[in-house]
Amino acid sequence: MEMPAPDQSVIDCQAQICADLRRILPDNAVVESEEGRRAYDADGLSAYRQLPLVVALPETVPQLAAVMRYCHSHAIKVVPRGAGTSLSGGALPLADAVLVGLGKFNRILDIDYANRCVVTQPGVTNLAITHAVQADGFYYAPDPSSQIACSVGGNVAENSGGVHCLKYGLTTNNLLGIEIVTIEGEVLRFGGKHLDAGDFDLMGVMTGSEGLLGVVSEVTLRILQKPAMQRALLVGFEDTESAAKAVGDVIGAGIIPAGMEMMDGLAINAAEDFVKAGYPRDAAALLIIELDGPAVEVDALIDRVATIMNAAGASSLKVSNSEAERNLFWAGRKAAFPAVGRISPDYLCMDGTIPRRRLPDMMVRMAALSQKYGLRVANVFHAGDGNLHPLILFDANQPGELQRAEEFGADILRACVEMGGVLTGEHGVGVEKRDLMGIQFTADDLKQQQRLKCAFDDGHLLNPGKVFPQLHRCAELGRLHVHQGKMPFPDIPRF
Amino acid sequence: MNKIHNLGEAAEAITAALAAKQRLSTIGTGSKAALGRRVDYDGVLDLSAMCGVVDYQPEELILTVRAGTSMSALEAVLAEAGQMLPFDPPDFSRLLASGAAGSIGGVLAANLSGPRRLTAGAARDYLLGFEAVSGRGEFFKSGGKVVKNVTGYDLSKLMCGSFGTLAVMDEITLKTLPRPETAVSLLFGYADIAAATAAIAAIFASPHEPHAAAILPAVLARQAEIDLGTSYVVIIRLEGIAVSVDDRASNLLASGFNAAAHARLEADRSADLWQSIRDVDWFTSHQGAIWKLSVAPAAAAPLLADIGARFDVTAYADWAGGLIWLAGPSGPELATALRAAVDAARGGYAQLIIDKNGGADQVPPFQPLPAAHFALHQRVKAAFDPYDVLNFGRMHDGI
Repeated sequence: MEMPAPDQSVIDCQAQICADLRRILPDNAVVESEEGRRAYDADGLSAYRQLPLVVALPETVPQLAAVMRYCHSHAIKVVPRGAGTSLSGGALPLADAVLVGLGKFNRILDIDYANRCVVTQPGVTNLAITHAVQADGFYYAPDPSSQIACSVGGNVAENSGGVHCLKYGLTTNNLLGIEIVTIEGEVLRFGGKHLDAGDFDLMGVMTGSEGLLGVVSEVTLRILQKPAMQRALLVGFEDTESAAKAVGDVIGAGIIPAGMEMMDGLAINAAEDFVKAGYPRDAAALLIIELDGPAVEVDALIDRVATIMNAAGASSLKVSNSEAERNLFWAGRKAAFPAVGRISPDYLCMDGTIPRRRLPDMMVRMAALSQKYGLRVANVFHAGDGNLHPLILFDANQPGELQRAEEFGADILRACVEMGGVLTGEHGVGVEKRDLMGIQFTADDLKQQQRLKCAFDDGHLLNPGKVFPQLHRCAELGRLHVHQGKMPFPDIPRF
Repeated sequence: MNKIHNLGEAAEAITAALAAKQRLSTIGTGSKAALGRRVDYDGVLDLSAMCGVVDYQPEELILTVRAGTSMSALEAVLAEAGQMLPFDPPDFSRLLASGAAGSIGGVLAANLSGPRRLTAGAARDYLLGFEAVSGRGEFFKSGGKVVKNVTGYDLSKLMCGSFGTLAVMDEITLKTLPRPETAVSLLFGYADIAAATAAIAAIFASPHEPHAAAILPAVLARQAEIDLGTSYVVIIRLEGIAVSVDDRASNLLASGFNAAAHARLEADRSADLWQSIRDVDWFTSHQGAIWKLSVAPAAAAPLLADIGARFDVTAYADWAGGLIWLAGPSGPELATALRAAVDAARGGYAQLIIDKNGGADQVPPFQPLPAAHFALHQRVKAAFDPYDVLNFGRMHDGI
């Protein structure tokens, strides 16, 4: 992975930059020692590591703004970082950039039940939002599997999803307002406790922008009343095709479950070995379907879904009759990644999305690719929305295996796009999928996206080297030559 | 008027306008021509011929349509599959006296959502991807044709509510959802609006999953043949399978929520009532200014008390109080008061939807932007339309 060439003249000024930042920030908020910086050298995509130039840990919005102003005026790059759980390298440091950590922004500012929202600093974890309101019967819906650790500011930057986004949406659908600090150190608020922008939806465009447009300094989240009941079905199938069709049948019957997860044979057995959740070991595909809502509704829909599953040829079917049993159904799915970690020294987790009807084709393709690369692949899917998480098993100690695994992953993502899908459903592009963007987008598509970047950060100082395979100068992107008389079809009547 | 059949023609027309230094407006069915500022343009791109369903996969919850497709045609296709656009797009043909129900492109360009917006999300939440030509005359696409996608910037959000000032869209991909089996309404009567909003907060703190919540003053409720003998009526919509709707309805009615009176409306009357709330039916003959306000739901009661004490207005609230429809006198006094009230409510906006007295010329229809936001809006506009070819000035002078 090639990152933008570091600017040696900035690196040479490291001591001066640290001294300057210490004048802006409190004691201990500037991490200069190599040992201290080492803790920040990677995010959740740990195959890539880089020591940051310096780590700045502001505690207040004015301090954050001052750091940004300082970096902007000295043309120093900035990499924002929440909890560092990105699976795509979104918070990977740069050798010539100040890493701005938001970890000290760890307070919930306002719990507002009258408006059903929570105003929070960005460093608060996703799960802490639910913990803060659950005694009063509320929760925050998006639940990425890293929710115990990931920060809500990072959730905004990555537009994080989770197993329940089929029914409840991604982060972008559960956000009411944000405050950001621009690269110039300006503090701007978009949205609030009201609904809809009324102007350009800059909150919407900030969400999922992977730290390239601004640093999120405050978040207003919509909270929901916790459903009265949750029940799940655990359904085995002898082939993936029947399982995929069964998922479509549920939606076709007008039912939107809270979650619909699928696992393939390798994932089923790895999970069963690890947590003994009672998964059917001989099934080729396993569905976990969760329904939530009022008790009478859940009970009625469980029966309907069970009927659909049997009609679709289920080989086994269990329905949870207690919270303990429901949690056991989920235990294997939630432990799928560590379970796969037990059967392989290393694995790569991919994240493409396909139209769900192409799932059987994708399984065939993956089996062929598995043979081609000589590497095993275990599959867990958010089946309801076609979001794949193939886990490619490899051993980094075997020469060439990491590279083979990466090529295998890239081929899977190419197949996703070829089948009408996209490169990433919820993990983000970051550095991991940056060089594959050209598969999904044309050069013009990417240039238009980068023109938007220029509206926020025309010096490319914010998180450069992420998302876009090629950096274009803003002046070059803005150029537009209009030659009178050189129009295509000049004789078509106009106006 | 230049009739455009595809994005290639749109690119040609925009390139020609760039060369001739002309400014263009875009139009679909013309249903929302009354919205926004009055600006003179050198030409009009008529997008109504870019219509039809490109692909519809109900079991994938995915619909790709062309931007000029009329809402009536679209809704017929969805109804046949038992599905809907979950954001409940309003039909302003009567409110704006246009005679046309609008196109999907127009609904998205104005980011218009109805009562279900409170719980299901807005138009902007259901646009998954699109193809477009920018004001540079260049083709680009964004998003995708799957429901879960975070690849690249989410330009779909930006296009929704941009009133055509950034690009001309076509091949719009939307997320659809199944229609609920049934929907009923519960009515709760209160003496004042503060009690009404407090009751809504209590109802939303219960696990009975209301989908929509509105507050009508008695004068408008009576027009809908509702009279609980109270000054305000809270209307709660419940949707889902019949057994669930009935169970939740009886639980909510049993709880009472300190209402002086309550009642239940069955499916047909409930649907008619919500359509009137959605389409602002009661203000269609109002001869002054009609305003749309978006504020924090709990801010509705004090805001309306303040404005109602100073101006001769009729107002009701949707979105649990978060959306206020207000009919009042023309002119800048009310505009100034409403915008100050929105600021006092710490966020939101007041948009002048229509003024049949022509007062729209004296009042900026969109909430004026603070300087830093205005500058950023200008830069975003320039990123897509650097020579101000597309609908320049429709939202704000200079954008």
